[in-house]
Amino acid sequence: MQNNDSCTYKEGPLPSCAPLAVPMLAAQQCAEPAYDSAEALAKGTLFPGLDLPFMDYVANGPVERTPQTELMALDFVCQELALYLDTHPNDQEAFKTWKNFTALAKEGRKRYVEMYGPVMRADTAMFDCWVWPEDPWPWNAGGKAGKK
Amino acid sequence: MFVYEKKLQYPVRIKNPNPAMAKYIITQYGGPDGELGASLRYLSQRYSMPYPEVKATLTDIGVEELGHLEMIGTIVHQLTRNMTVEQLEKAGFQDYFVDHTAGVYAQAAAGWPYNAASFAVKGDVIADLSEDMGAEQKARVTYDNILRMADDPDVIDAIRFLREREVVHFQRFGEAMGIATSRMDQRNVYAVNPAFDRKK
Repeated sequence: MQNNDSCTYKEGPLPSCAPLAVPMLAAQQCAEPAYDSAEALAKGTLFPGLDLPFMDYVANGPVERTPQTELMALDFVCQELALYLDTHPNDQEAFKTWKNFTALAKEGRKRYVEMYGPVMRADTAMFDCWVWPEDPWPWNAGGKAGKK
Repeated sequence: MFVYEKKLQYPVRIKNPNPAMAKYIITQYGGPDGELGASLRYLSQRYSMPYPEVKATLTDIGVEELGHLEMIGTIVHQLTRNMTVEQLEKAGFQDYFVDHTAGVYAQAAAGWPYNAASFAVKGDVIADLSEDMGAEQKARVTYDNILRMADDPDVIDAIRFLREREVVHFQRFGEAMGIATSRMDQRNVYAVNPAFDRKK
């Protein structure tokens, strides 16, 4: 993306003169700086400029590390970058980062599935029998990683 | 087409039953600014949207909202599983309990069943995207209000995450609005509705 030196990562450019009665919001300029994946998941955003908590409700450090939360963190970064790319489709740097994280998430998912069971129904094809219905389901306490 | 992932977007692990909290958090399941309405709003507005980036934004945010619906359902389930009749009576949870036991039902905090009238599909680019920006703000305020009342750190943690997502989605809809209006008649963006009036 085009970088405007007068703005910081917490700000975005607006036209110097803009039409009346047209809703306008400053666009994010760049997908950097970014939190690392564990911190991004804990904060609920990849981008420090969008990290705008209510009162003092902030994350108590990164989410507890389990094989499942590591996968959640990688998938979260992919989602966050995808939403950014939807409105910044020409940002090749961000696209490269998204590709890297998508590859990491794919590897992470494969390792996770081998240890804890299918995440997508199609993952069940890696097993000897139909293990898809097995507990725990996501609303069961602790989740998969917590139980085993 | 949709594919299910057998995991939450963010971990929810609530140890203690608390039907009093479930009673108001249920509003983000089936209330006026809840996640069900959010998802249906965006996924329904897509069809008449003429711009590719905006179609993608509505799709990707609409799908994420389904994941948030699952997180809220999980919170309500975990706050009401293992509760005793004594606990639910003390919490004033009888009205919900008598109709739904410990099931998760799409209703507002005040008891109204989910109502599609709580969102709009106007079929107009600027009107729909303005609604989406407003919707994200209303959901953000609902989470602010939940945070004011919730006193279980397990619940606060997940609600805080969901609230932050509203801020990010607001930003993306604002950017989508910018993309959409930049493609309209710059002398008067209201001259036509590009979602209906075809280019000749």
